[in-house]
Amino acid sequence: MLKYLIRRLILMIPVVIGMTVIVFLILHLAPGDPVDLIVGPNVTPEVYENIRRRLGLDQPLIIQYLKFMKSVIKGDLGVSILQERPVIELILERLPVTLQIGFAGFLITFVIAIPTGILAAVNRNTIIDYSCMTGAMLGISLPTFWFGLLLMYFFAYKMRLFPISGYGSLKHLVLPAFALGLTNAAITARMVRSSMLEVLRQDYIRTARSKGLAEKVVIYQHALKNAMIPIITLMGLRLGWIIGGSVMLEIVFSIPGLGRLIVESILSRDYPVVQGSMIVLTSSIILANILADILYAVVDPRIRYN
Amino acid sequence: MLEKRFVKILAVLMILSFVSVAVLGGCSKAPETSQSSQGEEKQEKKEKVLVIGYDRDAEILDTIKTAWYSDALIYIHDRLVSRDYDFKYKPGLAKSWDVSEDGLTWTFHLREGVKFHDGSPFTAKDVKWTIDTIKDPNTGSPYRNDLKAIKEVIVKDDHTIVMKLNYPFPNLLFNLSNTASGIHPANAYEKYGDDYGKKIVIGTGPFKFKEWVKGDRIVLEKNEEYNWGPEWMSNRGPALIDKIVLRTIPDENTRIMELETGGIHILRNVPVAHLERLEKNPDIQVYRGPATKLGYLAYATDKKPFTDVRVRRAINHAVNREEIINYVFRGVGEVAYGYLPPALKDEYLEESKDLAYNYNPEKAKQLLAEAGYPDGLKLTLSADNSSRSQKLAEVLQSQLKEVGIETEIQLYDSASYKAMLKEGKQELFIRQYSWPNADILDWFLLSSQMPYPNHSRWNDPKTDELIKKAASMPTWEERAEAYKEVQKYLIEQAVWCPIYIPEQIIAVRKEVKNFKYHPWMLQYNDGFDMMVE
Repeated sequence: MLKYLIRRLILMIPVVIGMTVIVFLILHLAPGDPVDLIVGPNVTPEVYENIRRRLGLDQPLIIQYLKFMKSVIKGDLGVSILQERPVIELILERLPVTLQIGFAGFLITFVIAIPTGILAAVNRNTIIDYSCMTGAMLGISLPTFWFGLLLMYFFAYKMRLFPISGYGSLKHLVLPAFALGLTNAAITARMVRSSMLEVLRQDYIRTARSKGLAEKVVIYQHALKNAMIPIITLMGLRLGWIIGGSVMLEIVFSIPGLGRLIVESILSRDYPVVQGSMIVLTSSIILANILADILYAVVDPRIRYN
Repeated sequence: MLEKRFVKILAVLMILSFVSVAVLGGCSKAPETSQSSQGEEKQEKKEKVLVIGYDRDAEILDTIKTAWYSDALIYIHDRLVSRDYDFKYKPGLAKSWDVSEDGLTWTFHLREGVKFHDGSPFTAKDVKWTIDTIKDPNTGSPYRNDLKAIKEVIVKDDHTIVMKLNYPFPNLLFNLSNTASGIHPANAYEKYGDDYGKKIVIGTGPFKFKEWVKGDRIVLEKNEEYNWGPEWMSNRGPALIDKIVLRTIPDENTRIMELETGGIHILRNVPVAHLERLEKNPDIQVYRGPATKLGYLAYATDKKPFTDVRVRRAINHAVNREEIINYVFRGVGEVAYGYLPPALKDEYLEESKDLAYNYNPEKAKQLLAEAGYPDGLKLTLSADNSSRSQKLAEVLQSQLKEVGIETEIQLYDSASYKAMLKEGKQELFIRQYSWPNADILDWFLLSSQMPYPNHSRWNDPKTDELIKKAASMPTWEERAEAYKEVQKYLIEQAVWCPIYIPEQIIAVRKEVKNFKYHPWMLQYNDGFDMMVE
């Protein structure tokens, strides 16, 4: 297991490097110049060149990239061009905000999706199943940010139960977490249902029933455990996605999270911030997937990593 | 057994999530400010907090280094010169000033007893340091060029500062009253190091910098010692409100809802789409007036067919400005024919409309035919990707089509748009400027400003001469008159196609007392005179 983990972690390195190359190239080849944004257009060429030199933007791309990677290896993600602060500081300021909402949303997903999926699977083709799945379909079709706006409109604007937007207290967290959690729950619930249905058809379930086990035991002990594998895969993927995928939600709810930092930095061509955030983001997605792999082994003893 | 293990996993997962939420929540929990109506009611101390909503956050809180001036900087710093509601230059940190006969030597007499937020006294040294730092090419200040008229800053004594100019420049008062000219304590960079402008900001203004949660809010606290406000303010002492919170709310709909529910008190730049609704709301007072902004269609005047003045005039005749105001701006705003916004009362050329080109498609077609394009033209029309510009581009496309100009619309994000204009790939393109001074014409149309910001690529010796003459007129009045000549010439040459003057719309909640509308430096009085109930 430990060996497997180490191998996975080592394999992470080329993925991250590949990502940095792609991000670096796309960013630098896109039109637009961060120096323009710092100095404004009415600047003498010498000042402009001074700043480009100070930022190292006058060097060939390959040199810039190697310099960037060299400092990354040393653990230094560079300094923001526009904000003049270390990138790592900016990320650490924003990451907890995003993680809070991400995890709260994840929790909501988990708590809602699994019971709903099981309920639908067990009561297959009944009114319960149909209503659960209609709800899920609705949830999948709604974009998260729009659903967030709906929640905001009813619970904050009309009923005044929560603040409209902003960040700082638990109350601020509720609506965005639900918006994220519920839309993710929709996909997950459908997955739980189909996975459960698949398992419920298996011979060992028939055996379990025929030896007289209570239906509850059959479903929760025998079926659910076996149905968990694809669900864990999905959730592993979603966990990473939650961290990077709540950009629109962060904009709608004015949450100062990592997603907004990335979008704003892309628009202002603040290269170091985008590169640094992407490294953090990629790593977290890979780590979430490794976590999912570990969970497989925990849930299913047949799976061994050697 | 199996069930137990599964339950355990579930439990572990849930606990993990809870713990992480709690821990992360705990470590990044910021002090509660009155962000919501609920929060406000609960506040124990009756602190008077004014919350203002913005669509974007500051990048760096340093007037010297930033090109995006957060309103926070208006409250934190004082300037040598202030501007009253009638746009007149009045004393600020300088209690008076004299100009020499030749207009080349300006002597400012500074106010005494003024203190910076760090306790140090304000003296002439601080003024010198601030201006010298802006002018130092190594600083890379975006404001450097605006102070290029200043040759030298001399400290005569603690409370007298002399500025020697390269040429007469009456607009110096404007430049010294801008947010960018806020006075910093001398040697602030050496003293506060890298934290300056990020965690520490020091000025002499009515509010002190307290806290900045990036992307969320900037919190300012009343400067209790303040008693040096400009004479024209009704309250010159400490501000009537205790705190100002500048919140960043990127989404337009969210900003409006925050305003309606009391999460913010003031919203500037209200989109016209929400105007009707807000005007009906009894809790909200909407202030409207012409902005010092101008929206226009421009073209690369050094490229065919725009080198021909007849083509440029044809485009001016082809645009139906009333239709644009009605369709794109829902009837809110004014049509524009001149090159400056009429809110600049002294400088604006009153007869712009009579001299300019009215909507006349027949005339446009005729002019195009005379210029050698009887079968019309095929051009690109570039715009930034904001919804306003997109809509405007579409309307212009159909209007130009009527006179035989086929256009293909190209949209850009703002950084790419700038890069494209700088490279000179544009044909027709849409821009809007926002600036309360006639020197905007220097900025956009002097040949030395090519390729950017002179993106219409207007390279014309006569314009250069007229503008330079106007800019170095010895008095404000003569300067204003000279700028009228510039405008006349620009209209004749049809350098741009001016289209609209948007309205400045500010929504203010009823809890706010004493709010005064100002066409330009809207926020200037907020810190002093205004009250929040």
